[in-house]
Amino acid sequence: MTIDITLTVNGTARTVRVEPRRLLADVLRHDFALSGVHVGCAHGACGCCTVHVDGTPRLACLTFAVQCDGKAIHTVESLGGVDATHPLQQAFSIEHGLQCGYCTPGFLMTLAPFVDAMVAERRVPEDAEIREAMSGNICRCTGYHGIVAAVRRAVTEQIETGSAQP
Amino acid sequence: MRPSSFRYHKAESVDHALELLARFGEDGRPLAGGQSLVPMMNLRLAAPEHLVDIGGLPLTDIAFTDTAMRVGALVRHRQYLAEPRVAHHFPALHEAVTWIGHPTIRENGTTGGSLSHADPTAELALAAMLYDAVMIVRNTAGERRIAAADFFEDAYVTALQPGEMLVAAEFPLPPVGAAGAFVEFAERRGDFAIAAIGVSITVADGRIATAAIACSGAEPRPIRAPEIEMMLSGRPLTDPQSRAAGRRLAAAIDPVGTFLTTADYRKALIGELTARAIDTACARAASR
Repeated sequence: MTIDITLTVNGTARTVRVEPRRLLADVLRHDFALSGVHVGCAHGACGCCTVHVDGTPRLACLTFAVQCDGKAIHTVESLGGVDATHPLQQAFSIEHGLQCGYCTPGFLMTLAPFVDAMVAERRVPEDAEIREAMSGNICRCTGYHGIVAAVRRAVTEQIETGSAQP
Repeated sequence: MRPSSFRYHKAESVDHALELLARFGEDGRPLAGGQSLVPMMNLRLAAPEHLVDIGGLPLTDIAFTDTAMRVGALVRHRQYLAEPRVAHHFPALHEAVTWIGHPTIRENGTTGGSLSHADPTAELALAAMLYDAVMIVRNTAGERRIAAADFFEDAYVTALQPGEMLVAAEFPLPPVGAAGAFVEFAERRGDFAIAAIGVSITVADGRIATAAIACSGAEPRPIRAPEIEMMLSGRPLTDPQSRAAGRRLAAAIDPVGTFLTTADYRKALIGELTARAIDTACARAASR
Protein backbone atom coordinates (compact mmCIF):
# COMPACT_ATOMS: atom_id res chain seq x y z
CA MET A 1 0.00 0.00 0.00
CA THR A 2 1.27 3.46 -0.92
CA ILE A 3 -0.45 6.81 -0.46
CA ASP A 4 0.11 10.17 -2.13
CA ILE A 5 0.53 12.91 0.45
CA THR A 6 1.28 16.61 0.15
CA LEU A 7 3.64 18.15 2.67
CA THR A 8 4.56 21.81 2.80
CA VAL A 9 8.15 21.53 3.95
CA ASN A 10 9.99 24.70 4.89
CA GLY A 11 7.51 26.66 2.81
CA THR A 12 7.45 24.52 -0.33
CA ALA A 13 4.56 22.14 -1.04
CA ARG A 14 5.37 18.83 -2.67
CA THR A 15 3.48 15.61 -3.22
CA VAL A 16 5.25 12.35 -2.47
CA ARG A 17 4.14 8.73 -2.61
CA VAL A 18 4.86 6.87 0.62
CA GLU A 19 4.24 3.58 2.37
CA PRO A 20 2.14 4.25 5.51
CA ARG A 21 4.82 2.71 7.71
CA ARG A 22 7.41 5.31 6.74
CA LEU A 23 8.32 7.70 9.52
CA LEU A 24 8.18 11.43 8.93
CA ALA A 25 11.85 11.59 9.91
CA ASP A 26 12.83 9.17 7.13
CA VAL A 27 10.66 10.86 4.51
CA LEU A 28 12.18 14.26 5.34
CA ARG A 29 15.70 12.83 5.15
CA HIS A 30 15.36 10.62 2.08
CA ASP A 31 12.58 12.18 -0.03
CA PHE A 32 13.23 15.82 0.85
CA ALA A 33 17.02 15.53 1.33
CA LEU A 34 16.84 17.35 4.66
CA SER A 35 19.74 15.76 6.49
CA GLY A 36 19.32 18.14 9.43
CA VAL A 37 16.60 15.83 10.70
CA HIS A 38 18.70 13.49 12.83
CA VAL A 39 17.42 10.13 13.98
CA GLY A 40 18.92 9.10 17.30
CA CYS A 41 16.90 6.49 19.18
CA ALA A 42 13.87 6.10 16.87
CA HIS A 43 11.55 5.52 19.80
CA GLY A 44 10.90 8.94 21.29
CA ALA A 45 13.59 9.02 23.96
CA CYS A 46 16.27 11.41 22.65
CA GLY A 47 14.56 14.32 20.89
CA CYS A 48 17.10 14.49 18.02
CA CYS A 49 14.42 14.30 15.31
CA THR A 50 12.24 17.15 16.62
CA VAL A 51 10.57 19.16 13.83
CA HIS A 52 7.58 21.50 13.79
CA VAL A 53 4.26 20.22 12.46
CA ASP A 54 1.87 23.12 11.93
CA GLY A 55 4.08 25.13 14.27
CA THR A 56 4.20 22.63 17.13
CA PRO A 57 7.34 20.67 18.08
CA ARG A 58 6.92 16.99 17.36
CA LEU A 59 9.16 13.94 17.29
CA ALA A 60 9.46 12.96 13.64
CA CYS A 61 10.35 9.39 14.65
CA LEU A 62 6.97 8.98 16.38
CA THR A 63 5.05 10.35 13.42
CA PHE A 64 4.02 8.58 10.24
CA ALA A 65 4.39 10.82 7.20
CA VAL A 66 0.83 9.92 6.14
CA GLN A 67 -0.47 11.59 9.32
CA CYS A 68 0.95 14.88 8.06
CA ASP A 69 -0.87 15.02 4.71
CA GLY A 70 -1.75 18.69 4.11
CA LYS A 71 0.31 19.94 7.03
CA ALA A 72 3.20 22.42 7.21
CA ILE A 73 6.52 20.99 8.37
CA HIS A 74 9.54 22.99 9.43
CA THR A 75 12.97 21.47 9.96
CA VAL A 76 16.17 22.95 11.36
CA GLU A 77 17.10 24.00 7.80
CA SER A 78 14.35 26.65 8.04
CA LEU A 79 15.84 28.29 11.13
CA GLY A 80 18.94 30.16 10.02
CA GLY A 81 20.06 28.51 6.79
CA VAL A 82 23.55 27.14 6.16
CA ASP A 83 25.13 30.11 7.94
CA ALA A 84 23.07 29.38 11.07
CA THR A 85 22.06 33.00 11.50
CA HIS A 86 19.18 32.42 13.92
CA PRO A 87 19.86 34.08 17.30
CA LEU A 88 19.57 30.75 19.10
CA GLN A 89 22.04 29.12 16.70
CA GLN A 90 24.46 32.01 17.22
CA ALA A 91 24.07 31.68 20.99
CA PHE A 92 24.76 27.92 20.79
CA SER A 93 27.99 28.72 18.96
CA ILE A 94 29.11 31.39 21.42
CA GLU A 95 28.23 29.44 24.58
CA HIS A 96 29.59 26.04 23.47
CA GLY A 97 26.07 24.62 23.28
CA LEU A 98 27.24 21.87 20.95
CA GLN A 99 30.22 19.65 20.34
CA CYS A 100 29.55 16.74 17.96
CA GLY A 101 26.33 18.39 16.80
CA TYR A 102 24.20 15.28 16.44
CA CYS A 103 21.57 16.39 18.96
CA THR A 104 21.72 20.07 18.03
CA PRO A 105 18.91 20.24 15.41
CA GLY A 106 16.54 18.64 17.92
CA PHE A 107 17.54 21.03 20.69
CA LEU A 108 17.13 24.01 18.38
CA MET A 109 13.70 22.97 17.13
CA THR A 110 12.53 22.19 20.68
CA LEU A 111 13.88 25.41 22.16
CA ALA A 112 13.23 27.97 19.39
CA PRO A 113 9.49 28.29 20.25
CA PHE A 114 10.40 28.45 23.96
CA VAL A 115 12.86 31.28 23.28
CA ASP A 116 10.26 33.11 21.17
CA ALA A 117 7.66 32.78 23.94
CA MET A 118 10.07 34.14 26.54
CA VAL A 119 11.08 37.05 24.30
CA ALA A 120 7.39 37.82 23.69
CA GLU A 121 6.86 37.90 27.47
CA ARG A 122 10.07 39.92 27.82
CA ARG A 123 11.18 37.55 30.57
CA VAL A 124 14.50 35.75 31.03
CA PRO A 125 13.59 32.26 32.29
CA GLU A 126 15.09 30.64 35.37
CA ASP A 127 17.63 27.93 34.61
CA ALA A 128 15.18 25.36 36.01
CA GLU A 129 12.59 26.44 33.43
CA ILE A 130 15.14 26.12 30.62
CA ARG A 131 16.10 22.65 31.83
CA GLU A 132 12.45 21.63 31.94
CA ALA A 133 11.90 23.00 28.42
CA MET A 134 14.79 20.89 27.05
CA SER A 135 14.19 17.84 29.25
CA GLY A 136 13.07 15.76 26.26
CA ASN A 137 16.40 16.16 24.47
CA ILE A 138 19.55 14.22 25.23
CA CYS A 139 23.07 15.57 24.63
CA ARG A 140 26.07 13.33 25.33
CA CYS A 141 28.80 15.95 24.80
CA THR A 142 28.11 19.26 26.48
CA GLY A 143 26.78 18.38 29.91
CA TYR A 144 23.95 20.80 29.11
CA HIS A 145 25.41 23.88 30.87
CA GLY A 146 26.38 25.47 27.56
CA ILE A 147 22.91 24.87 26.16
CA VAL A 148 21.26 26.49 29.18
CA ALA A 149 23.61 29.46 28.81
CA ALA A 150 22.81 29.67 25.09
CA VAL A 151 19.08 29.83 25.73
CA ARG A 152 19.61 32.49 28.38
CA ARG A 153 21.78 34.49 25.99
CA ALA A 154 19.35 34.19 23.05
CA VAL A 155 16.46 35.42 25.19
CA THR A 156 18.43 38.19 26.89
CA GLU A 157 19.96 39.57 23.70
CA GLN A 158 16.67 39.62 21.83
CA ILE A 159 14.91 41.38 24.70
CA GLU A 160 17.74 43.94 24.90
CA THR A 161 17.74 44.64 21.17
CA GLY A 162 13.95 44.44 20.99
CA SER A 163 14.13 42.11 18.00
CA ALA A 164 11.79 39.21 18.65
CA GLN A 165 11.83 36.56 15.97
CA PRO A 166 8.51 36.47 14.11
CA MET B 1 13.85 0.12 14.64
CA ARG B 2 11.25 0.66 11.95
CA PRO B 3 7.62 -0.54 12.05
CA SER B 4 6.29 -3.42 10.01
CA SER B 5 3.81 -2.72 7.23
CA PHE B 6 0.24 -1.76 7.96
CA ARG B 7 -2.73 -0.35 6.13
CA TYR B 8 -3.64 3.24 6.91
CA HIS B 9 -7.18 4.58 7.15
CA LYS B 10 -8.07 8.18 7.89
CA ALA B 11 -11.29 8.44 9.87
CA GLU B 12 -13.57 11.23 8.64
CA SER B 13 -15.87 11.11 11.69
CA VAL B 14 -16.24 9.24 14.98
CA ASP B 15 -18.84 6.96 13.36
CA HIS B 16 -16.48 6.28 10.47
CA ALA B 17 -13.70 5.40 12.92
CA LEU B 18 -16.01 3.02 14.77
CA GLU B 19 -17.08 1.37 11.50
CA LEU B 20 -13.45 0.83 10.55
CA LEU B 21 -12.54 -0.50 14.01
CA ALA B 22 -15.57 -2.84 13.92
CA ARG B 23 -14.44 -4.17 10.55
CA PHE B 24 -10.83 -4.78 11.62
CA GLY B 25 -11.53 -6.10 15.14
CA GLU B 26 -8.37 -7.40 16.82
CA ASP B 27 -6.25 -6.29 13.84
CA GLY B 28 -7.14 -2.59 14.06
CA ARG B 29 -5.89 0.13 16.38
CA PRO B 30 -6.76 3.82 16.60
CA LEU B 31 -3.83 6.18 15.99
CA ALA B 32 -3.88 9.65 17.54
CA GLY B 33 -0.79 11.28 19.08
CA GLY B 34 1.24 8.11 18.59
CA GLN B 35 3.41 8.79 21.64
CA SER B 36 2.97 5.26 23.04
CA LEU B 37 1.84 3.20 20.05
CA VAL B 38 4.49 4.32 17.57
CA PRO B 39 7.51 3.58 19.82
CA MET B 40 6.06 0.11 20.38
CA MET B 41 5.63 -0.30 16.62
CA ASN B 42 9.17 0.95 15.94
CA LEU B 43 10.48 -1.60 18.43
CA ARG B 44 8.19 -4.23 16.84
CA LEU B 45 6.48 -4.82 20.17
CA ALA B 46 3.24 -3.97 18.36
CA ALA B 47 2.36 -4.70 14.74
CA PRO B 48 -1.27 -3.81 14.03
CA GLU B 49 -2.41 -4.62 10.49
CA HIS B 50 -4.68 -1.59 10.29
CA LEU B 51 -4.26 1.86 11.81
CA VAL B 52 -7.29 4.12 11.97
CA ASP B 53 -6.07 7.72 12.15
CA ILE B 54 -8.46 9.57 14.46
CA GLY B 55 -6.18 12.61 14.72
CA GLY B 56 -8.60 14.91 12.89
CA LEU B 57 -11.73 14.08 14.88
CA PRO B 58 -13.49 16.69 17.05
CA LEU B 59 -12.77 15.05 20.42
CA THR B 60 -10.40 17.83 21.45
CA ASP B 61 -12.23 19.69 24.23
CA ILE B 62 -12.20 19.81 28.01
CA ALA B 63 -15.81 20.65 28.90
CA PHE B 64 -17.38 21.37 32.29
CA THR B 65 -20.92 20.76 33.49
CA ASP B 66 -22.27 21.45 37.00
CA THR B 67 -21.22 17.99 38.09
CA ALA B 68 -18.33 16.80 35.96
CA MET B 69 -15.41 17.56 33.69
CA ARG B 70 -15.51 15.71 30.39
CA VAL B 71 -12.19 15.28 28.63
CA GLY B 72 -12.29 14.32 24.95
CA ALA B 73 -10.08 11.45 23.82
CA LEU B 74 -7.96 13.78 21.68
CA VAL B 75 -7.25 16.32 24.43
CA ARG B 76 -3.50 16.87 24.49
CA HIS B 77 -1.73 16.69 27.85
CA ARG B 78 -0.69 20.34 27.68
CA GLN B 79 -4.37 21.37 27.51
CA TYR B 80 -4.84 20.36 31.15
CA LEU B 81 -2.12 22.82 32.10
CA ALA B 82 -3.66 25.64 30.04
CA GLU B 83 -7.17 25.23 31.52
CA PRO B 84 -7.31 26.93 34.97
CA ARG B 85 -10.41 25.00 36.03
CA VAL B 86 -8.40 21.76 35.97
CA ALA B 87 -6.00 23.03 38.65
CA HIS B 88 -8.93 24.50 40.56
CA HIS B 89 -11.08 21.37 40.75
CA PHE B 90 -8.48 18.63 40.30
CA PRO B 91 -5.16 19.84 41.75
CA ALA B 92 -3.65 16.35 41.89
CA LEU B 93 -4.57 15.74 38.23
CA HIS B 94 -2.99 19.04 37.24
CA GLU B 95 0.19 18.19 39.13
CA ALA B 96 0.21 14.67 37.65
CA VAL B 97 0.13 16.04 34.09
CA THR B 98 3.32 18.05 34.73
CA TRP B 99 5.05 14.69 35.20
CA ILE B 100 3.96 13.22 31.85
CA GLY B 101 6.99 12.75 29.63
CA HIS B 102 8.54 15.95 28.33
CA PRO B 103 7.11 19.14 26.79
CA THR B 104 7.11 17.77 23.22
CA ILE B 105 5.33 14.61 24.37
CA ARG B 106 2.78 16.71 26.29
CA GLU B 107 2.14 18.71 23.11
CA ASN B 108 1.24 15.61 21.13
CA GLY B 109 0.18 12.81 23.48
CA THR B 110 -3.56 12.37 24.03
CA THR B 111 -5.82 11.46 26.93
CA GLY B 112 -7.47 8.61 25.05
CA GLY B 113 -4.10 7.25 23.98
CA SER B 114 -2.61 7.26 27.46
CA LEU B 115 -5.68 5.75 29.14
CA SER B 116 -6.12 3.06 26.46
CA HIS B 117 -2.42 2.21 26.47
CA ALA B 118 -2.66 1.66 30.25
CA ASP B 119 0.99 1.80 31.15
CA PRO B 120 1.14 0.57 34.77
CA THR B 121 2.61 3.85 36.04
CA ALA B 122 0.88 6.30 33.67
CA GLU B 123 0.01 9.54 35.44
CA LEU B 124 -3.43 9.95 33.81
CA ALA B 125 -4.45 6.41 34.74
CA LEU B 126 -3.55 7.09 38.36
CA ALA B 127 -5.46 10.39 38.31
CA ALA B 128 -8.49 8.63 36.78
CA MET B 129 -8.44 6.14 39.69
CA LEU B 130 -7.94 8.91 42.26
CA TYR B 131 -10.89 10.98 41.07
CA ASP B 132 -13.22 8.05 40.24
CA ALA B 133 -13.28 8.95 36.55
CA VAL B 134 -15.61 7.16 34.17
CA MET B 135 -14.40 6.00 30.77
CA ILE B 136 -16.85 6.71 27.93
CA VAL B 137 -16.43 3.94 25.40
CA ARG B 138 -18.17 3.57 22.05
CA ASN B 139 -18.58 1.03 19.29
CA THR B 140 -20.99 0.88 16.36
CA ALA B 141 -23.72 -0.53 18.66
CA GLY B 142 -23.61 2.33 21.14
CA GLU B 143 -21.92 3.65 24.25
CA ARG B 144 -20.98 2.22 27.62
CA ARG B 145 -19.55 3.80 30.72
CA ILE B 146 -16.81 2.01 32.63
CA ALA B 147 -15.52 3.08 36.03
CA ALA B 148 -11.75 3.58 36.08
CA ALA B 149 -11.50 0.83 38.73
CA ASP B 150 -12.99 -1.64 36.22
CA PHE B 151 -11.27 -0.20 33.15
CA PHE B 152 -7.63 -0.84 34.07
CA GLU B 153 -7.31 -4.62 34.25
CA ASP B 154 -3.58 -5.29 34.06
CA ALA B 155 -0.38 -3.85 32.59
CA TYR B 156 -1.35 -2.56 29.12
CA VAL B 157 -4.72 -4.34 29.40
CA THR B 158 -8.04 -2.53 29.66
CA ALA B 159 -11.71 -3.46 29.47
CA LEU B 160 -11.79 -2.15 25.87
CA GLN B 161 -13.04 -4.82 23.48
CA PRO B 162 -12.10 -5.15 19.80
CA GLY B 163 -14.08 -2.56 17.85
CA GLU B 164 -14.40 -0.25 20.84
CA MET B 165 -12.79 3.16 21.25
CA LEU B 166 -12.47 5.44 24.23
CA VAL B 167 -14.12 8.74 23.23
CA ALA B 168 -13.90 10.64 26.54
CA ALA B 169 -13.13 10.42 30.24
CA GLU B 170 -15.53 11.99 32.70
CA PHE B 171 -14.21 13.24 36.04
CA PRO B 172 -16.94 13.98 38.63
CA LEU B 173 -16.28 17.35 40.29
CA PRO B 174 -15.01 16.96 43.86
CA PRO B 175 -16.63 19.10 46.59
CA VAL B 176 -15.56 22.74 46.49
CA GLY B 177 -12.32 23.26 48.40
CA ALA B 178 -10.89 19.79 47.84
CA ALA B 179 -7.10 19.85 48.07
CA GLY B 180 -4.67 17.45 46.47
CA ALA B 181 -1.12 16.48 45.66
CA PHE B 182 0.71 14.16 43.28
CA VAL B 183 4.26 12.96 43.84
CA GLU B 184 6.30 10.68 41.62
CA PHE B 185 9.73 9.13 41.55
CA ALA B 186 11.58 8.18 38.38
CA GLU B 187 15.24 7.66 37.55
CA ARG B 188 15.23 10.93 35.66
CA ARG B 189 12.48 13.53 35.33
CA GLY B 190 10.22 12.51 32.45
CA ASP B 191 11.17 8.84 32.51
CA PHE B 192 8.62 6.16 33.23
CA ALA B 193 7.76 6.35 36.93
CA ILE B 194 8.97 3.75 39.40
CA ALA B 195 6.11 4.73 41.70
CA ALA B 196 3.67 7.60 42.19
CA ILE B 197 1.04 8.64 44.71
CA GLY B 198 -1.97 10.90 44.27
CA VAL B 199 -3.96 12.28 47.20
CA SER B 200 -7.24 14.19 47.24
CA ILE B 201 -8.82 15.38 50.48
CA THR B 202 -11.88 17.29 51.56
CA VAL B 203 -11.66 19.35 54.72
CA ALA B 204 -13.99 20.28 57.59
CA ASP B 205 -13.03 22.29 60.69
CA GLY B 206 -9.30 21.94 60.12
CA ARG B 207 -9.51 18.18 59.76
CA ILE B 208 -9.52 15.74 56.85
CA ALA B 209 -13.17 14.90 56.16
CA THR B 210 -12.62 12.40 53.36
CA ALA B 211 -9.47 11.22 51.66
CA ALA B 212 -8.71 9.40 48.42
CA ILE B 213 -5.29 7.86 47.75
CA ALA B 214 -4.18 6.27 44.49
CA CYS B 215 -0.88 4.49 43.98
CA SER B 216 1.08 3.27 40.97
CA GLY B 217 4.10 1.00 41.16
CA ALA B 218 2.55 -1.46 43.63
CA GLU B 219 0.68 -3.56 41.08
CA PRO B 220 0.59 -3.77 37.27
CA ARG B 221 -2.21 -1.19 37.36
CA PRO B 222 -2.95 1.82 39.54
CA ILE B 223 -4.76 0.99 42.79
CA ARG B 224 -6.69 2.82 45.49
CA ALA B 225 -5.84 2.41 49.16
CA PRO B 226 -9.21 2.34 50.96
CA GLU B 227 -7.78 1.35 54.35
CA ILE B 228 -5.43 4.32 54.36
CA GLU B 229 -8.23 6.59 53.19
CA MET B 230 -10.32 5.49 56.21
CA MET B 231 -7.37 5.99 58.57
CA LEU B 232 -6.91 9.59 57.46
CA SER B 233 -10.54 10.59 57.86
CA GLY B 234 -10.94 12.89 60.88
CA ARG B 235 -7.24 13.59 61.36
CA PRO B 236 -6.12 17.21 61.83
CA LEU B 237 -4.46 18.86 58.83
CA THR B 238 -1.58 19.87 61.11
CA ASP B 239 -0.88 16.26 62.16
CA PRO B 240 -2.25 13.76 59.64
CA GLN B 241 0.21 11.05 60.82
CA SER B 242 1.33 10.62 57.26
CA ARG B 243 4.35 8.44 58.16
CA ALA B 244 2.12 5.85 59.81
CA ALA B 245 -0.15 5.92 56.76
CA GLY B 246 2.83 5.41 54.46
CA ARG B 247 4.16 2.51 56.53
CA ARG B 248 0.74 0.89 56.55
CA LEU B 249 0.38 1.13 52.78
CA ALA B 250 3.91 -0.18 52.26
CA ALA B 251 3.11 -3.18 54.47
CA ALA B 252 -0.11 -3.91 52.59
CA ILE B 253 1.35 -4.07 49.05
CA ASP B 254 3.36 -6.77 47.35
CA PRO B 255 5.18 -5.20 44.39
CA VAL B 256 7.50 -7.18 42.12
CA GLY B 257 11.16 -6.36 41.71
CA THR B 258 12.50 -5.31 38.34
CA PHE B 259 15.93 -4.77 36.83
CA LEU B 260 15.75 -1.24 38.25
CA THR B 261 14.44 -1.81 41.74
CA THR B 262 13.95 -4.59 44.26
CA ALA B 263 10.50 -5.22 45.69
CA ASP B 264 11.65 -3.98 49.11
CA TYR B 265 12.97 -0.75 47.62
CA ARG B 266 9.67 -0.17 45.87
CA LYS B 267 7.71 -0.76 49.09
CA ALA B 268 9.90 1.70 50.99
CA LEU B 269 9.60 4.22 48.17
CA ILE B 270 5.81 3.98 48.08
CA GLY B 271 5.65 4.45 51.84
CA GLU B 272 7.78 7.57 51.60
CA LEU B 273 5.88 9.01 48.63
CA THR B 274 2.59 8.39 50.44
CA ALA B 275 3.76 10.38 53.44
CA ARG B 276 5.01 13.22 51.27
CA ALA B 277 1.80 13.39 49.22
CA ILE B 278 -0.41 13.44 52.34
CA ASP B 279 1.74 16.12 53.97
CA THR B 280 1.69 18.26 50.82
CA ALA B 281 -2.07 17.99 50.36
CA CYS B 282 -2.68 18.84 54.04
CA ALA B 283 -0.28 21.79 53.96
CA ARG B 284 -2.01 23.16 50.87
CA ALA B 285 -5.45 22.75 52.47
CA ALA B 286 -4.27 24.40 55.70
CA SER B 287 -2.73 27.39 53.89
CA ARG B 288 -6.01 28.45 52.36
